[in-house]
Amino acid sequence: MINAIVIGIQVLSALTLIFLILLHSGRGGGLSDMFGGGQLGGSMAGSTVVERNLDRLTVVTAIIFVFASVILALRVA
Amino acid sequence: MLSRLRNMFRAPDLRNKILFTILIIAIYRVGAHLPVPYVDFSAIKDLQNNAEQNGGVVGLLDLFAGGAITNVAIFFLGIMPYITASIIMQLLGVVIPKLEEWRQEGQVGQKKITQWTRYLTIGLAILQSTGFAFALHNGNSALGFSGFEGRDLIPDWSLGVALMIILTWTAGTALVMWLAELITQRGIGNGMSILIFASVVSRLPAQGGALWAEGSRAQFVVILLIGLAMIVGIVFVESGQRRIPVQFAKRVVGRRMYGGQSTYIPLKVNQSGVIPVIFASSILAFPALIASALGNSATGVQEWINGNLVEGQGWFYITFYTLLIIFFSYFYTAIAFNPQQQADIIRKQGGFIPGIRPGPPTERYLAKVLNRITLPGSLFLAVIAITPLLVFALWDINQFPFGGTSLLITVGVALETMKQIDSQLMMRNYEGFLS
Repeated sequence: MINAIVIGIQVLSALTLIFLILLHSGRGGGLSDMFGGGQLGGSMAGSTVVERNLDRLTVVTAIIFVFASVILALRVA
Repeated sequence: MLSRLRNMFRAPDLRNKILFTILIIAIYRVGAHLPVPYVDFSAIKDLQNNAEQNGGVVGLLDLFAGGAITNVAIFFLGIMPYITASIIMQLLGVVIPKLEEWRQEGQVGQKKITQWTRYLTIGLAILQSTGFAFALHNGNSALGFSGFEGRDLIPDWSLGVALMIILTWTAGTALVMWLAELITQRGIGNGMSILIFASVVSRLPAQGGALWAEGSRAQFVVILLIGLAMIVGIVFVESGQRRIPVQFAKRVVGRRMYGGQSTYIPLKVNQSGVIPVIFASSILAFPALIASALGNSATGVQEWINGNLVEGQGWFYITFYTLLIIFFSYFYTAIAFNPQQQADIIRKQGGFIPGIRPGPPTERYLAKVLNRITLPGSLFLAVIAITPLLVFALWDINQFPFGGTSLLITVGVALETMKQIDSQLMMRNYEGFLS
């Protein structure tokens, strides 16, 4: 029973996590500035309200996902 | 040196950036150790004991993932899918006109490309984790886990369990991707390279220990010396540049005089950094991954791949690796530095290279110089990446097969990050590391 709940939480949080992360607009710049030629964009951290909330939501989901995985791993072991 | 380190922590926002980066690295390292549900723990323990001997694909992937592979962790795939996706997007950029168009759009187009890279990353993560899940279940030897032929790491195998594991790894990959982006955005340096750096460095002590255990003391010392010499060589070549002088014409605007000064365009000998090495080694990992996904049905193909592409000591592997590195050096330099664009910028700003006409002749000159200095740069990369393979093959040591690649990545990223910190310090008039 508890296993089923944890599995549910885990699957749900994993799906949400992937979705939320894809919602972020990638600021990585891809490979263009990887290992060289990286221009410093200063502190161009996205600070619109939407983005900050998205960040918070992602962090919370990530934490839930990680804990669910670990608990599940311990339970089925 | 020490006072510079102190300065680094004196500027509040720089200090915050560094602390943030360290925090993200810590999270990443923890995630590389958290186990995935339904995987046999005792088998993993055995696997770890053999881990250092794993050359081949798993060794390489494990190097980039910082041990997450042999831990069968949540961050199992690590940053690899993101790198692969980036390579594919870069290669496709030459083929598909739409991508080419986007790239020319500058910032906006770059953003689109990045977004597609992210989608592709998730797709690749699903593919790779499916392959790996089946490989772990079948105890497939194509992966190069030594001593694990026919052993089942996922005993309670069912469709649900498989889906669950695939989902967990995919989400883990997404998380790693986000962590990398967070570093790029709010921390110091480029996220992807910092995470690879952290992974590679985390393997060094274990690899060193294994080397100590297998080789004789004299061999160990010689290898250390070679390593030191390589570090010096890498720093030397990485910071080497050809300076092409540019003279700006004087012009009078109103009562003021502008220009008239001369600067130079720095062309690095190794314009593309360690990217060619990373690209080449991930491309070499493709066939083996495909073979492992095929399962045991295609034995002949699998044997050939195992013999020639997984073991890093065959002549085929070494030749192919060298060629790939040289190819990617040129390829990436062509992407990173566009002579035509550069010539255009110089012309628009009223500058010229002494002795060469502006416009097409300048373009041709820049391209010629670039081509000529890229050759030794790429050869150097290849030599660094190959030397450890050769030395170890001579001495029959199976440890540390990616020593050259590790060193290149470590030193390259360290130099790059140092430069970034330095430029931040410069903004505050502190003396940096490099002055």
